[in-house]
Amino acid sequence: MNLTNTVSIPPQVMARTVGEETVLLDLASGTYFGLDPVGTRIWQLISEGKTVAAVCDNMLAEFDVSRDTLEADVMHLLGELRDKGLVNAA
Amino acid sequence: MSHCYQQQPARCQTAPPGAPFHQWSFTDGTLWTQFYRRHDGYLLRFPDLADFEVSADGAVIQSFPAPGVDLSTVEHLYLNQVLPLALSRQNRLVLHGSAVDIQGQGVAFLGESGRGKSTLAASFATEGTRFLTDDGLLLDWVSDDCRILPSHPSIRLWADSEDALMPAATPRAAAVSFTSKARFLAGRRIPFCSQSRPLRRAYFLGSGDVDATIIEALRPAQAAAELVKHSFLLDIEAREHLARHFEDITRLAAFPICFSLDYPRRYEALREVRQTIMRHTLGHWITADHDRS
Repeated sequence: MNLTNTVSIPPQVMARTVGEETVLLDLASGTYFGLDPVGTRIWQLISEGKTVAAVCDNMLAEFDVSRDTLEADVMHLLGELRDKGLVNAA
Repeated sequence: MSHCYQQQPARCQTAPPGAPFHQWSFTDGTLWTQFYRRHDGYLLRFPDLADFEVSADGAVIQSFPAPGVDLSTVEHLYLNQVLPLALSRQNRLVLHGSAVDIQGQGVAFLGESGRGKSTLAASFATEGTRFLTDDGLLLDWVSDDCRILPSHPSIRLWADSEDALMPAATPRAAAVSFTSKARFLAGRRIPFCSQSRPLRRAYFLGSGDVDATIIEALRPAQAAAELVKHSFLLDIEAREHLARHFEDITRLAAFPICFSLDYPRRYEALREVRQTIMRHTLGHWITADHDRS
């Protein structure tokens, strides 16, 4: 995963927002995954087809955090989602 | 919702064609249930006990005892294992849990086997609080209200809980061959609630490694994960049903009714546990009523 990647959501992945969080389900594997409020915001941004860099730019404008920390956290989460088959990266 | 249950004559458990697509085992590795797909539905095999054939839509269930297995055992398997799974094929939300009716409010206790679901329900029932189910918590949406439907009017208990809780001469069902749990029938001593009740609390039971009763709210995503973990689902590979189940789970998880509950597993502590649960359940609604007025 790197900043130039665009992340997409496979068609077999369902997402529902509950409260300030999001629950994901991969219908192909039966895998469930929960996102906290920050993860939920990242999910909203990748749902709009943004690159990883654009996701980070948006998040930097919304959260009081350094760019280095934010980029590391965003890529860590997206890498975990990719490894579970919940997103594709191109 | 409708289903038809037919008891068939005993038959030997010959090897079905193909491999099971899913199976359940006990923690010691002993096989408990094998799930096979058939052209017209499913075969659920409980080795050396019984086979159950379930139609694809979950509406028709046929039982075939293994030779020498009594009908009480087969009925027990049907009620506690097969029927909840079959109902999941009818897009019904069925969870591993017991439930009681606390002054009109449905209160559910969910957890893995051995966490005390039945003991807690029995503890309430023997003190006069009616129970709705012992296991196989069937939920039904009525508009935006999730309601608990009454299940089989009986409670199953291990001998230690029976000794600690059950009044003498409480009627019981015939013994079954695969467990020493006794099944006690509802009546004057353990009253049953035969009407649906709105689900107001879902408590997920902890391990009991605590010194006092602890209740903590679950975040919605936590609640969804717990609800998934305690769901009956016959076919986890059927996408349409899985998607529908996901919608139900996330809809339910959005309500602020899911909590973790842990308490010391001592029978003498149950009175205090019941009182805490009643305060926690009813206090919220009393406050809410005052807020509205």
